[in-house]
Amino acid sequence: MRRDRPSRHGGIVGALAVLLLAGACAGRGSAGSDRRELVVLAAASLTEAFEEIGANFEQEHPRVTVTFSFGPSDGLAAQIREGAPADVFASASPSWMDDVEENGPGILHRADFARNLLVVITPPDDPGHVSTLKDLARPGLRLVLAAPGVPAGDYARQILERAGIADRALANLVSNEEDVKAVVQKVLLGEADAGIVYRTDVTPAVEDTLRTVEIPAEANVIAVYPIGVVASSEHPTLARAFVEEVLGPGQEILRRYGFLPPP
Amino acid sequence: MKPRPPFGLAAAAALGATFVLLPGVGLLSRIPWDRLPALLASPLVADATRISLLVAGGAAILAGLLGLPLAWLLARARFPGRALVRSLVVLPMVLPPVVAGIGLLAAFGRRGLLGGPLRALGVELPFTTAAAVLAAAFVAFPLFVLPVEAGIRSLDPRLEDAAATMGASRWYALRRVVLPLLIPSLSSGLILAWARALGEFGATIMFAGNLRGRTQTLPLAAFEVSQTDPAAGIAISAVLVALSVLVLIALRGRLFR
Repeated sequence: MRRDRPSRHGGIVGALAVLLLAGACAGRGSAGSDRRELVVLAAASLTEAFEEIGANFEQEHPRVTVTFSFGPSDGLAAQIREGAPADVFASASPSWMDDVEENGPGILHRADFARNLLVVITPPDDPGHVSTLKDLARPGLRLVLAAPGVPAGDYARQILERAGIADRALANLVSNEEDVKAVVQKVLLGEADAGIVYRTDVTPAVEDTLRTVEIPAEANVIAVYPIGVVASSEHPTLARAFVEEVLGPGQEILRRYGFLPPP
Repeated sequence: MKPRPPFGLAAAAALGATFVLLPGVGLLSRIPWDRLPALLASPLVADATRISLLVAGGAAILAGLLGLPLAWLLARARFPGRALVRSLVVLPMVLPPVVAGIGLLAAFGRRGLLGGPLRALGVELPFTTAAAVLAAAFVAFPLFVLPVEAGIRSLDPRLEDAAATMGASRWYALRRVVLPLLIPSLSSGLILAWARALGEFGATIMFAGNLRGRTQTLPLAAFEVSQTDPAAGIAISAVLVALSVLVLIALRGRLFR
């Protein structure tokens, strides 16, 4: 009994080493030393469209790997301010782009590349009986929004203000989610009765499991998305090329995912 | 006296200690001392502190109530599958907290396994303080069970027999002989569970959501605020560091025995 203990521990160390090696090899392929990595920090709502644009960009630039970090724009801006390595920043609101320009390393080649509208989503069986925006004010409904500061959260609050139901609807708020995709998830799971997200978040992957309620035009907010090269980027030329890709061929992909053309 | 360690070992050990200490030092270096009192007195921090103390306390008690009989059984009883049960009890310790949150939703969520029966009783857990307690109790559970099981195992069963031969009832022996001897391991378990519950983030944000005054604990507040107001995030982190140091003082090396 006592004698097989060291060999058992050796087995654990060996297993860890194998897992480590597997992790180091996975996804690397034939990565050469001249391979460059472009880090793109993008608003969570851009996830699906940017992944497609990134795949095209990699095909056109064979020695380049595009690495995305999707999250709430305020969180991404905070990471850039703190010196996270980033080449391109795409924000769901101009204010967090301004923040990086003023309090961070700065932004080059800034341009607006898309606009977006917001919608109300509910689970398919609509447990909260939501047929119009005003229904979000009905007492007892469980509403989830993105947190204040997250663009989707700020836009949602503006919409509720414009519709004149902010006080009563926010009394129904049960959670401030970290980004807009987390709002989609809570509604998808059926835990919340309703949420306010971008129209583009109702992607083909989830459109059968979500119900969409349009927000009247007079209350809706048009979100403007700016993109730019982070001034501290180590690959400014490549980063600029990615921005051009989004402004050029990427536009068709963004349209397909429901984004509106830039102003 | 112990022999002086070789220089190489001392240097490597210093490296390890630095690695563990540096984030704390970094936090301290960033604390905005002039704004600290105002930040700590803000309603957001006050709410988060209240919720955190409520959630961590509730979670430690819940883990204790649910964990004590199980710890007893694991320490004393022989039954088939005991080793398996013992391994599964540790599961929340190795499970990524976000996965724990998804699991809690699948079990206690509106559409979870118990969602229907719970709703029949008029209970909807997600997004409530009770959900935050449940999430924290889940991840803290093994930290209560393991030290308590070890404590019960180290009790000499003959003490109970002796008490019985002297005419003590089972209940009397438990109350006057066994429980006093278990107090050190029970308090270790409760403190460890409390500390783990205090730091809980992933399962809470998945299962209980994030709403100020209801489910927003100190870690959730630190996460939300640090993106828009870094100084406030640091101040909340300082509160958590202070509470953690208090835990270490309360344990006073009991961890290492």
